Amino acid sequence: MKEKDLYVDFEPQQAVYYVEKDDSSYGPIVSGSQLSHDYLDDFYLKKKNLEKQLRDQVVSRQISPVFYYMTLQEMGIGDLASRVGISKRRLKKHFKPEYFEKLSLKILKKYATIFDVPMISLLQLIIVKQEDREKVEIEYMNTKNDCFIITKIGIKNNG
Amino acid sequence: MDKVIDFEHKMAAHCETGTLTALLNYNGLNITEPLVFGIANGIFFGYLDSSNFPFPTIIVRSRPGQVRENISKRLNVKLNKWRFKDPDKGESKLDELISKGIPTAAQVDFFYMTYMPDWQRVHINVHFINIIGKKDDKYIISDSYYPRKSELNSDMMRKARWAGGFMAPKGFMYYPDEIPENIDFKKPVIKGIKRACRNMISLPVPFVGVKGIYKFADKIKEWPSLVRDTDHLSHEIMKINILLEDQGTGGAGFRFMYATFLQQAAEILNNNNLLDLSKRMMENGDKWREISYFAAKIGKNRDLGNDRIEELSLLIKKRADEEKDFFKELRKAV
Repeated sequence: MKEKDLYVDFEPQQAVYYVEKDDSSYGPIVSGSQLSHDYLDDFYLKKKNLEKQLRDQVVSRQISPVFYYMTLQEMGIGDLASRVGISKRRLKKHFKPEYFEKLSLKILKKYATIFDVPMISLLQLIIVKQEDREKVEIEYMNTKNDCFIITKIGIKNNG
Repeated sequence: MDKVIDFEHKMAAHCETGTLTALLNYNGLNITEPLVFGIANGIFFGYLDSSNFPFPTIIVRSRPGQVRENISKRLNVKLNKWRFKDPDKGESKLDELISKGIPTAAQVDFFYMTYMPDWQRVHINVHFINIIGKKDDKYIISDSYYPRKSELNSDMMRKARWAGGFMAPKGFMYYPDEIPENIDFKKPVIKGIKRACRNMISLPVPFVGVKGIYKFADKIKEWPSLVRDTDHLSHEIMKINILLEDQGTGGAGFRFMYATFLQQAAEILNNNNLLDLSKRMMENGDKWREISYFAAKIGKNRDLGNDRIEELSLLIKKRADEEKDFFKELRKAV
């Protein structure tokens, strides 16, 4: 592909692509991602729809937060089970609220580490009102106590 | 410990070839990323359906780690390598290497690379980065996928290096220790090409190489029955574009990079047939990119009826036909 046909100006996501240069030699250029340039809004729309669906299912006790995060983060069952160090069969039980409720803090901590969320986020969802999203910032601060974090909520300076 | 190594950061198409090329360059070997990719027979195809993935997926490059191993073998480069069960030991060994001024490649789960845009962050255990310093409990990183040098705090690095799961990194890290002087690239290039041809057309496995492309063309027709809803199907179809273009392939599922390799190989071997084949591979790459565009377009428009999926399947099948013939020709050319 010729350089001019491939190049996309999109600073937020850049990558190296190999193209045909003007002198017919092939070599690398840095270009923006065509897909993200054109369709990132659509990606977020689908993600938002999926989050809402999953959240409704957690709220109505059809699925557990483990299933919620696993699906949102697009992880395979085999992969997640192996990360937690349990069988796939046992993991599937953790998808059900009645089993999730019996999980130990030790297991919850493992899930929190894998999903890269504070452990408390497996038990509650903090949603900032749409109109305040630009103004509010939330900071989770780990402490030496693995089972206790401090959450700081503040108004941004430019808010 | 504060130490930052003077290391030239360069973006590269692919993380594994990019980190290795950068380390070889740093240690005095003048070699390009496509040459590393080609000598190591990085080009490949596979259709995978396993519980390790949330949905059937395709791979367009050889098994992670093979590029490194093949380069080590074929260019006689000695690599010092480690895996660690114990994160404390793995972390202190990395710190020791950095304090000695040795840039080191590490295997990580891409998800924890928090400097990347959040829409790109997915759990992939086979991402490679070069670690080139440590300052204020933060590692300084040269990541082929990021325009600048970046930083990651040591807690996050620990999560990324000991993520567990499918293809777990297990704290793996390496650096090139001895590189021979005056390497003759002729034999390694031929070996890389022959092995690539074997992998693409001769392996007796129904889901890899050209057989994998045929399988992909066939199985994609079943995708509508595997999804939650239309949004999900749209996402999976558009992911074909990501896997072919944006997930560190250099475009067109590594086909553009392979065409570049063949152009460089033609010069090394003084073989004009390879020059023609390199053009043909570039055109083949253009057709793969058409598949990416098409997938993105029908996904975005939710135009995902059977006729459209059938059309996509046909485009993929044509690539299988072309690559079957291409790799036969390539085998004859060396």
